[in-house]
Amino acid sequence: MKATAALATALPEGQAPRSPRWRPALRQTLIILAPFALFAIFLLANGVNPLLLYRAMFVSTFGDLYGFGEVLIKATPFVLTGLAAALPARAGMINVGGEGQLAIGALVSTGFAVFLLGGLPSWLGIPLMLLAGAVGGALWAGVVALLKVKGNLNETITSLLLNYVAAFTVGLFVHGLLKDPESFNWPFSPEINWTLRLPIIDGTRLHVGFVIAIVLALAVWYVLGRTRLGFRIRVLGGNRLAAERAGMNVSRMQLWVLIAAGALAGIAGMIEIAGIEGRLRPSTGVNYGYLGFLAAWMAWNKPLRLLLTAFVLGMISVAGNSLEIGSGLPSSSVHILMALVLFFLLGSGAGRKVKT
Amino acid sequence: MIADILTGALRSGTSVMLASQGELISERAGVINLGTEGSMLGGALGGFAVTVWTGNPWLGTLAGGLCGLLMSLIHAFLVITCGANQLATGLTLMFFGMGVTAFFGRGFVSEQIVGFNPVPIPLLADIPLLGQVLFNHDPLTYLSILLVPLLWLLLFRTRLGVIVRAAGEREEVLLAAGINPQLVRYAAVLAGGFLAGVGGVQLAVAFTHSWVENMVQGRGVVAVALVIFASWKPLRAMLGAYLFGAAQALQLTVQQSGLPISPFFLFMLPYLLTLAALYLVELRQRSRMPEALGRVFTGTSGG
Repeated sequence: MKATAALATALPEGQAPRSPRWRPALRQTLIILAPFALFAIFLLANGVNPLLLYRAMFVSTFGDLYGFGEVLIKATPFVLTGLAAALPARAGMINVGGEGQLAIGALVSTGFAVFLLGGLPSWLGIPLMLLAGAVGGALWAGVVALLKVKGNLNETITSLLLNYVAAFTVGLFVHGLLKDPESFNWPFSPEINWTLRLPIIDGTRLHVGFVIAIVLALAVWYVLGRTRLGFRIRVLGGNRLAAERAGMNVSRMQLWVLIAAGALAGIAGMIEIAGIEGRLRPSTGVNYGYLGFLAAWMAWNKPLRLLLTAFVLGMISVAGNSLEIGSGLPSSSVHILMALVLFFLLGSGAGRKVKT
Repeated sequence: MIADILTGALRSGTSVMLASQGELISERAGVINLGTEGSMLGGALGGFAVTVWTGNPWLGTLAGGLCGLLMSLIHAFLVITCGANQLATGLTLMFFGMGVTAFFGRGFVSEQIVGFNPVPIPLLADIPLLGQVLFNHDPLTYLSILLVPLLWLLLFRTRLGVIVRAAGEREEVLLAAGINPQLVRYAAVLAGGFLAGVGGVQLAVAFTHSWVENMVQGRGVVAVALVIFASWKPLRAMLGAYLFGAAQALQLTVQQSGLPISPFFLFMLPYLLTLAALYLVELRQRSRMPEALGRVFTGTSGG
């Protein structure tokens, strides 16, 4: 940190006007590096060599196909819950409910998979299960949307509160109706039929869910940037009064934007079940909603940038596992790194460009 | 059974109540702090750790309050000095608190402490029903009850209170009086963080006597919601917090009585009640929020 500060002040003053282009670039670089430097101090204090960790992080991501696949697996739900935060953000709303919307999406899709879709062939069963997940997430977000539109309640607070309710709802089902009868009292659902599992790429654990995530990110990008609807959403986000004066039905737009966001997060829940876990557990997707929210803010709520930031968070998450195995630090310590990255971005004013 | 629930309402509602009073100060000065959750976690762990090390829960309370204050300092700096988005910064702080406390708390999960225990007040505690409900609590709970009227006096009957409220409503007034509104906001956010930290201490050191990872379980979020539900009034925020506590106490009572109701349904109840309360208040009246806060929610505020 001291070194970076010294570097910044050591720049000759006269240089700024002559090269106005690289000054902000340097600033950006420092903002990205500073949290890693801070976290390094933190690791050093715990007797872990940060360089080894950062190196391991890089190598395990780009070293082989398997590692790269692991990062993509982690990044997939972050993209989707990130979209669930980014889309409403562009319409001037803060949806922090991705966590609960993912959980309910996972719950509903597992319920359908276990009770109804087991006998169907993959080409029919998987899309139906995906639809079930989307509907589950959309319903959960619909509660937030209705409370906002009808009750004038702030969506940030209600979506946060509903995250806890969602987690307990999942608990209610995996201890009750959806409990695996052969589980010897462990709280998880029965395993879904193999026909409903997402196809996997050879040599990795990577499933096609990441393609779904990328396609949806492109779709949101296209809608926001290239369609009339997207233009109206951005006008609403930029200035609600202007949107009202232009004759838009603001309530209805808010309602549907939030519901669409919930559907995206719900799909993330379905992908976790059909792609990775095969059954619903109370731990399925925990924190993915919050991490997606952070990814969205790091990307200034732009869908294509989100692909990048979700990938970075995926890298950090995978590194968290190696941190736990390699140095005995809990995997939750990487949450600190993520929060630091975001603190620096928020403090640098990156988030303020959101509404452009 | 009713006495049990009412007593439990105070006992388990106090942590939320302290945090909501803190958040109320901060919001009156125009800063919403969702990082209250992180401050409570920091307070819970800091308070618990110092109580383990020193055996003195009062030192623990002080340490926990300071941990909460340090957490909120991050929020204050980013929001007030750097002009970052308040809601996003608060959420990041919540997440930061979860990570940091999980990390440093590993060694404390199996520790045991004496901490604070109920101290019945002589004579008063012998009054039937009322005595048990009101006069048989831990010291932090008594102090928190005293805090509410004091805070009300401070906010609405003193010059200092006018200054705090002006920071959230009309900062021109402060500028005209030669007071730096940013400084006032800093003070308010830090005071809020301290109280949230003490709330965390009450939870870990007086109520559960233990440290568990992520033990605050959304109480900080509930505290923020309660401030809105209470229309930024201290006494109403207290009532709201005890309502939340009562729902939690009900859950324990029902579980012990062996009624065939799933515990998970009961776990949800406090959060659902908070939502319902928010909705009812909003239906009755569009509550008047401090002007600077209104700008945060409509996204027209730089900071």
